[in-house]
Amino acid sequence: MKLRIRGNRSIRMLAAMGATGSLVAVAGLTSPAGATPTVSISVASLVPGATAAATAAFNKQVAQFERANPGIHVKSTQYDWTGPTFAADLAAGTLPTVFTVPFTDGRALGQAGQLANLTKYAEQYPWFKEFNPAVIAEGTDAKGRIIAIPEAAYAQALQYNRGLFVKAGLKPNSPPTTWAQVESDAKAIVKADPNAAGFAVMGASDNTAGWILTTLTDAFGGRVETGVGAKAKATFDNPGTVAALNMIHTMRWVDNSMGSKFGLSWGTSNQAFAAGQVGMFISGSDVYTNMVQAYDINPGIYGLAPLPLQGKNAGVLGGGTLAAVKPTASPNQIAAALKWINFYYMQPLSTRQGAIRNANALLAQKQPIGVPEFPVLNKQAFVLAQKWIKPFINVPVKQMASFTNGILNDPLIPEPESVTQAIYGDLDSVVQSVLTDPNANIPALLNAANATGQASIATGNAPS
Amino acid sequence: MRAWPIRRKPRKRDDAGPQSFVLSSDWRRPSVRWGLGTTHVVLLILLIIIGLGPILWLAKSALTPTLDTITSPMAWFPHGLTWSNLSSAWTNVDVGLYMRNTVVIALGSWAFQIVVATTGAYALSVLRPKYGKVIMALLLTTLFVPAVVLLVPLYVEVVHPPLIHTSFVNNYLAVWLPESASAFNVVLMKRFFDNLPREILEAARIDGCGPFRLFVSIVLPMSRPILGVVSIFAVIASWKDYLWPLLVLGNPNLQPLSVRLPNIEQFTPLGVFLAALALTCVVPIVGFLIFRRLIVRGSGLSGALKG
Amino acid sequence: MAIDRMIPELQGQESGRATQEATRTPRVSGARRRPATWVKRGGLSKLLFLLPLLIVFGAFSWYPIVRLVMMAVQHTNLVQRATWVGLSNFSLVIHDPLFPIAVKNTAIFAGLALVFGYPVPLIVAVLMSEVRRLRGLYAVLAYLPVVIPPVVAVLLWKTFYDAAPNGVFNTILGWVGIGPQQWIQSQAQAMPSLVLESTWANAGSTIIIYLAALVGVNQELYEAAAVDGAGLWKKVWHITMPQLRAVLLVTLILQIIGTAQVFIEPYLFTQGGPANATLTVMLLIYNYAFGNSLGASYGKAAALSVMLVGFLAVFSLIYLRATRTWSRQ
Repeated sequence: MKLRIRGNRSIRMLAAMGATGSLVAVAGLTSPAGATPTVSISVASLVPGATAAATAAFNKQVAQFERANPGIHVKSTQYDWTGPTFAADLAAGTLPTVFTVPFTDGRALGQAGQLANLTKYAEQYPWFKEFNPAVIAEGTDAKGRIIAIPEAAYAQALQYNRGLFVKAGLKPNSPPTTWAQVESDAKAIVKADPNAAGFAVMGASDNTAGWILTTLTDAFGGRVETGVGAKAKATFDNPGTVAALNMIHTMRWVDNSMGSKFGLSWGTSNQAFAAGQVGMFISGSDVYTNMVQAYDINPGIYGLAPLPLQGKNAGVLGGGTLAAVKPTASPNQIAAALKWINFYYMQPLSTRQGAIRNANALLAQKQPIGVPEFPVLNKQAFVLAQKWIKPFINVPVKQMASFTNGILNDPLIPEPESVTQAIYGDLDSVVQSVLTDPNANIPALLNAANATGQASIATGNAPS
Repeated sequence: MRAWPIRRKPRKRDDAGPQSFVLSSDWRRPSVRWGLGTTHVVLLILLIIIGLGPILWLAKSALTPTLDTITSPMAWFPHGLTWSNLSSAWTNVDVGLYMRNTVVIALGSWAFQIVVATTGAYALSVLRPKYGKVIMALLLTTLFVPAVVLLVPLYVEVVHPPLIHTSFVNNYLAVWLPESASAFNVVLMKRFFDNLPREILEAARIDGCGPFRLFVSIVLPMSRPILGVVSIFAVIASWKDYLWPLLVLGNPNLQPLSVRLPNIEQFTPLGVFLAALALTCVVPIVGFLIFRRLIVRGSGLSGALKG
Repeated sequence: MAIDRMIPELQGQESGRATQEATRTPRVSGARRRPATWVKRGGLSKLLFLLPLLIVFGAFSWYPIVRLVMMAVQHTNLVQRATWVGLSNFSLVIHDPLFPIAVKNTAIFAGLALVFGYPVPLIVAVLMSEVRRLRGLYAVLAYLPVVIPPVVAVLLWKTFYDAAPNGVFNTILGWVGIGPQQWIQSQAQAMPSLVLESTWANAGSTIIIYLAALVGVNQELYEAAAVDGAGLWKKVWHITMPQLRAVLLVTLILQIIGTAQVFIEPYLFTQGGPANATLTVMLLIYNYAFGNSLGASYGKAAALSVMLVGFLAVFSLIYLRATRTWSRQ
């Protein structure tokens, strides 16, 4: 999902803050590719709106990198992935040398020749062999070329407000494990606090509504798309999607337990949750970071649980962020870009020094450390990285335990392969209809949307 | 020299008021006096609520803690004032930087528009080349094509300009130049030049004044009123522009406030965001109060501009 | 032409046409035959003065117009060479299920904008024209929303439209015993909500146009009517309204032309949602061209733009005729 990037990037933004030269042992920076002549690259830095301190700290990080790599000059530019601006930047050729895209767009961009081939550069780094196979697949195109480096992954999760659970007489340590329980808990929450939403779903027209519906569909054992590329089929009218929409319809119009805000987006749902207005909602396992840094959440209310799964083939939707390189970059620039990706994105995941450097930086800014993410590298590397940061962990781990324990047994489902964002966009209006029209005819809506979705697959895969 | 009419008429309106269907004789009738008087008081109250109310609410919310604004938006400082919204709007949102960008964009647009409109109108109105009529016709045709529908070809042109092979994306010229292609400005300016007294221009010419000196020393000084009107339009239009800068100024460091604010909406606490909106309003409101007469008088023309 | 004629009227200036003809400078014909003579006669300086205009309009107005038409019949993605595809872009647009929705929504926006935004400014202007004291204050208050940048106005109203029971407008409705409304997150209320904000933001300038037009009403007519014993309403109905007829037509057409291009409101309030209830033609053009992170349909966007220009041209012609009538008065 597109908005994930912001969350993940903001983690790094914080990672950049407060890092001081004395704290950082810059290791592993000597290039495996050998000495490079002077080369200049631009890199995506922080989200727009980063504080001055964060910017200064990021620049310090850049300076460290440049010191360790005298031949490389790094220029940082603010960067924010959104559908429209990305298309414009892509067309205009104004992307930085290193930028990030969501899992949803990586392969399609690679197929279209919009991303540099990183295969022979990436292979030289130790972490390359440690990738979780499902995750590196997101950065691999149909010909087996590496066109992007996965740098963060997440699984969808049920976020719940422990404070509201207590208020409603529910047990904050036993979050719902079935959708029927989600429904009844939501009713109980609304009964206890009529101003809150028992359960909320995103409903904005920026593909987030479709993203959540896809998550629910997977959790009910359905799929919104099968097959890959031009041969993909939109299957919006599957029983899983119908069940998910029926549940939303019941909670919205019969139980009246979904509150009053139906246009929530990724950020605004975090905001509403942090403000105590939402009992439960679905978002990535790592949104706690955003809730802390942007919305000042009271850690005591935060609870994280795995999504209830129902039916055969049910699974948890996962996603993540890829670091990619502009296709027009020269070989020297690509090599330099990979060094930056190694330093900034991969070392915190794969080396002790990198992990500690990152944790120290976060700590200095009192930002969350230890927010559950999905392993980008293999289990061994993941466990090691967890061990390295253990002394720094400052998030309410116990309140996230039911997620971290539960997710290990749940099947993880990748996002729809073909024209993912367009599929989400086509599903947005279905969710919105169910949320805003008590007489919404769910099968008819899905039928109509399915035709649009199939058309999106055809358009998106048309030879251009 | 004849006085510029734009001055004359509205001043009369401000002083004496427009022609009124309620005559003094009507005012003497008690029913009229009470009826109209009450209507006017009601109208004033409604105008205050509707015209000023939202802005006052914004000002209030800029000084109210976020949580209070979310839970009870219409309450009057239930937990007191806070200045932190404004200060973090200034430091974290960096309103100052974006206001500076907005000003730079507006000033550049203004300069380009003035140069194009004055020189072009001068050539068409005073110098009158033979092909002037053709150019005028072509200019007037563009009035039928609203700028917004040229979005796609203009964007493609700015990204891949023909002849010059450098992208103009993230370059203020990409905003300034297209905005200066305003047929409305040229027509307005030309209409004014058409009405300049020809005797003075002829006299200057006979005295050996060349076209350049005629323009700089005679025509421009005589055109201060229309320069004011076009300047105000240029600055206001630029201040309000959104879609075009959104497309061509992808670099956040270059964006004007209008582009920046929607981008940060999701990531900014409500109180800080509203404070940023309030700060954004300060310059236009102060500018309006200073140039009130000029702006209000020109409003009818800007209505025509939208067509 | 439309604005050409409108300007002198709005400024209370006599039409410039006659002046222009009367003061035409005598010109030596045939002067351009030899370059040296041409320069001597001022041909070069004429061209030099026109140069900024020619460059800017050539590059950013005339060329894009031609390019727009070309793009509408081409398939182009900026990377590969454009290919000629005839009218297939038009056919793709017309068969897009979103196209009729966008047209319908734009028509609804325009229609609602007329219902909300057309009579109110007129009534306010007529009443304001009778204010004897503090007229400046009335005008400032009426015009203030126009001063707020449109983006700020929309973002502010987005807060007002918070659908929670303790949202701004819902709180106010609560004071008078009306339950909370859904505003922009209801399919039925979203469009009226957008129009309401747009009316708030734009009514001020229409009021000012009417006020300016009211200046032009002949005072003697009122006095004559008063002698005949006509009451206030009769005077408004039989004298003011007929005299304003032309300006009313002009504002009507300007409003239709303006609302046909509505973009900022649906884009910033709802992004066309919920369930495409606020998808407008301009937003669809934008989505075709820039809305897909993986690539653009510039051809479809250009085809729809051409259709929009064609539609607007009809109204521009009516506008032209209307202002011509107006100028003659």
